[in-house]
Amino acid sequence: MQPLANVTPLNPLARAGAIEVRNVSQVFKTANQDVVALSDVSLDIRPGRFVVLVGPSGCGKSTLLMMMAGLQRPGSGTIRINGAPIEKPDPNRVGVVFQEASLFPWLTAEDNVEFPLALRGVAKTERRAKAEEALKLVGLEGFGKRHPHELSGGMKQRVSIARGLVQDPPVLLMDEPFAALDEQTRMTMGDELLRIWAATGKTVVFVTHSLTEAVYLADEVVVMSARPGRIVDTLQVQLPRPRTYDMLSGDTFGALRDRIWRHIRKSA
Amino acid sequence: MTLVPAHGLALKLARLAVILAIIAAWEAASRTGLVNPRLLPSASETLAMLVNLLGRAAVRNDLGVTAMEVLSAFALAVPLGCLLGFLIAENRYSADVVKPLLFFAFSIPKSIFLPMFILVFGVGFAQKVGFGFFSTIFIVIMSTTTAVESVRVEYLTVARSYAATPAQTAFRVYLPAMLPVLLEALRIAMIFNLTGVILAEMYASRDGFGHQIATWGENFQMPQLLAGVVLIAVIAIAFNELIRWVETRCSHWRT
Repeated sequence: MQPLANVTPLNPLARAGAIEVRNVSQVFKTANQDVVALSDVSLDIRPGRFVVLVGPSGCGKSTLLMMMAGLQRPGSGTIRINGAPIEKPDPNRVGVVFQEASLFPWLTAEDNVEFPLALRGVAKTERRAKAEEALKLVGLEGFGKRHPHELSGGMKQRVSIARGLVQDPPVLLMDEPFAALDEQTRMTMGDELLRIWAATGKTVVFVTHSLTEAVYLADEVVVMSARPGRIVDTLQVQLPRPRTYDMLSGDTFGALRDRIWRHIRKSA
Repeated sequence: MTLVPAHGLALKLARLAVILAIIAAWEAASRTGLVNPRLLPSASETLAMLVNLLGRAAVRNDLGVTAMEVLSAFALAVPLGCLLGFLIAENRYSADVVKPLLFFAFSIPKSIFLPMFILVFGVGFAQKVGFGFFSTIFIVIMSTTTAVESVRVEYLTVARSYAATPAQTAFRVYLPAMLPVLLEALRIAMIFNLTGVILAEMYASRDGFGHQIATWGENFQMPQLLAGVVLIAVIAIAFNELIRWVETRCSHWRT
């Protein structure tokens, strides 16, 4: 007989890739004052959605992302992924893509991608096969033997994405992954990311400073304000997919970007 | 004629030419009597003496004693220094407390402690190894703290986000990230170590190559003394170059 605890609940927030943020607050103590980094933030992200967090510097968007990754504990409140609380990093549930300089420069691209698997003691041949598959997915087939210093900025971030995906977690968290790239590469990488997202069906939470990038990529844009860090608006981006460059100059796109900008101007 | 930019082979040849010129000048100065040959035996005479010395069992025995002392002191000071340096640097508080103290200790000339080592250990193997260890450990600790600080915090965050254990973080992130700086530390540590051991041998000893050099000096045996100097110089340079070669092989990613 099945014990009751093993029966999967029908709650959609318990499905693979669902993220549930409940009443999360965080206060940082500095020498002369307490800074409220996050104030009572609640957010539900359905599986497979592409959600972008935007807001001025200090609004706590990166802090919130690091909490989803289990790299920081909320001062109060809970974060659940696949219905279970996340209290420490769990690479089976969450892959993280950081800013540019996060690849290990002493490892080749494929060894970087294999790193999460090597930590878990996966056998060499299996590791290599999975790394090749992940590199192929991000469009870097044949570049596995190169070291990071032999790759362009965009290619390095492709390797980072491959590393985030290699364990096939339902959630991919991205902390300003394209911030260090030039404008053209950034646009190309956005399209590439959307292609990868469509191919894998991951839930993506993406932090950025760029409003254009936010609207271009997202199903849903979560706008945050600073001091205290909280959610001030959530926008549904109804633009059809695949997104194209022409949409950038359209009325829908402009209206959404203006709405975000007004929020940010108010709080900055 | 204009000079073309020098590269690889040309530079090496130029360096070799400088060395040969120095040896030629040395030979000429001694032979022509420009410098008293009793004070400066010629290069060829020194080289012949070196071959002669290496043929003597007593000299080879002294070299063996010194090598044992140097390697023992090195084998003790390097791992212990690395471990201490790592523990100090890994914790912000201990780094803040201890690092200035290390600079204090490092700034003291170690040779003034030599008489104390003789009083504690007597004249022998332990005194040499102890003093070699003492001469080396501070630079190893200090270099290791620098090496730990050279590890980017992003690398540690990546390791943490993939749930690396502390041992995995140490061996898969800290060690490779620190390796170029650590190898350089190893190289410099050997210079301090060799200096310490040989100094201890010259100061008070019954055997070892440093003791030989001191004796030749006191007895005004210039060919032997110069041959000994050349030998130690060659060994020290060879070790240094070996580590530098490993360094360049291990740090190709550092650009």
